[in-house]
Amino acid sequence: MTESHAPARRRQHRPRLLTVSNLGALLVALFTAAPLYWLVVSSFRGPLEIGAAPTPLPRDPTTANYTDAFAEYEFGTYLANSAIVSVASTALVLCLGTLAAYALARLPLRGTTPVMTALLMISLFPTIALAAPLYLLMRDIGWLNSHQGLILAYTAFNLPFAVWILRNYFLSIPREMEEVAWMDGASPIRTVVSVILPQARPGLFTAGVFTFVACWTEFLLALTLNTSDQYRTIAVGIALFGSQYTVPYGTVFAAATAAMLPIALLVLVFRRAVVSGLTSGAVKG
Amino acid sequence: MTIFPIAYSVAMSLNEVAVSANGFRLLGMTGDNYAVVLGSDRWRYALVFTVAYTVVTVIVEMILGTVIALVLERLEAGRGWMMALLLMPWAMITVISAQLWAYVYNGVYGVLDALVTPFLGEVNFLGTPATAIASMAVADIWKTTPFVAVIVLAGLVMLPGDIVEAARVDGANPWTTFWRIRLPLLRQTLAIALLFRVLQAFGIFDLPFVLTGGGPGTSTESLALLGYRVMFQDLDFGLGAAVATTTTVLVLLGCLIFLRAFRAQVGEGD
Repeated sequence: MTESHAPARRRQHRPRLLTVSNLGALLVALFTAAPLYWLVVSSFRGPLEIGAAPTPLPRDPTTANYTDAFAEYEFGTYLANSAIVSVASTALVLCLGTLAAYALARLPLRGTTPVMTALLMISLFPTIALAAPLYLLMRDIGWLNSHQGLILAYTAFNLPFAVWILRNYFLSIPREMEEVAWMDGASPIRTVVSVILPQARPGLFTAGVFTFVACWTEFLLALTLNTSDQYRTIAVGIALFGSQYTVPYGTVFAAATAAMLPIALLVLVFRRAVVSGLTSGAVKG
Repeated sequence: MTIFPIAYSVAMSLNEVAVSANGFRLLGMTGDNYAVVLGSDRWRYALVFTVAYTVVTVIVEMILGTVIALVLERLEAGRGWMMALLLMPWAMITVISAQLWAYVYNGVYGVLDALVTPFLGEVNFLGTPATAIASMAVADIWKTTPFVAVIVLAGLVMLPGDIVEAARVDGANPWTTFWRIRLPLLRQTLAIALLFRVLQAFGIFDLPFVLTGGGPGTSTESLALLGYRVMFQDLDFGLGAAVATTTTVLVLLGCLIFLRAFRAQVGEGD
């Protein structure tokens, strides 16, 4: 074992390739990547090959699964539904979250932290505890099988976390800047938009990515609230595809690969935002 | 918006709910739903399964995640790419990973079957209760360990380097430095990761729904899956709400214990 070094220090000598940690990292990378590789590769296997003895690469690569998924089946519609719901919820969460977080950060309110913590905990509750009442609520206002029903639910569930993240950012912005804007006669909304938001941009990215990923991957509510094909999201479409006896895995994997692309890109681009969001809980708000 | 449905759910579980074409009516207070639920073997099994499954998977994930984070911290290059790779399973729709693992575990043409058979003989991964539970746990561990690793790694990077450096200069070996200095400093980060994971694991639903259908039999039926079936397949909202409420109570208890422990820890530590 070599000694560990503080991350801030740069090593001067040439890096050695064969260290315990490099080998360990390689193993981790392989274990993480192998199933993902299998998913993408299998989406190019024909129906005969999917059900035959597995080979590392498709013997006869084909894009038939993709044509099937989007021409024969409704996966294009499901993807569009997921996109509509996720984008709208994320936009709503960011708008409402900004206003709420700004109020919480700037107004002299007492006891906000316990309330925030409680809200956060509740938003992490198992969805099953909410499924039935939400179902009844949506049924009563006629929002079952609609985009807005899911958007409303997702916005409510993801708001607490976004407010938490944004509030921490707002607290770290010096008040003087706002005071200057005030002096110059800017309205509160104007102040937020032109002074605060540019400074809180990393926080907005973090809250946005988390909300989007949560909406894109949510399953239980999408399954119970939107039962018609027309409003089905991609998660539900992939889960319910096939029957008890046969699952056309090729088509499923083609749809799954298509569903993973946007999320994978998002995570790649906003990697830092995600990591800072995961650790923000450890920063005292 | 979040509190109301929970309260309504509790109210529903305490009532006789009549389902008819024109809607639901609450038919007055009753404890019957709970009597039925608490007395049923299926609910008891689901409870034990959910708790045991949560404890085992979360412990494995926390330890593995911490080890992975410690390994990645020593990488001299490519840490950013590793982080990105580790975030992929986290951002993946659980349903997709469940379908993928179902294919990997398939007894006829699954790749794992092909890899394992020469060494262990035929293993029917999803066919017997014991192997189905283990298979589900592996799929879960694959998907969520990276998430823990990323949190812990971010926490490690944020540790004040000078303290660790000072310990090293004083002649503490890496092992002692880790146990005595870095682990205590990481306590808060680990607690956050633990809380996230426990809350998620208690409500586990999509993985058994797709991978095993709760089977074979009801051996992988979690509380959430049971609640869903009673509510949306048997259309017994009162009973289903009672099952869902027991899940909520479980989570609340978990939160309380967690907060207690955390306060005590922080109180004496910092």
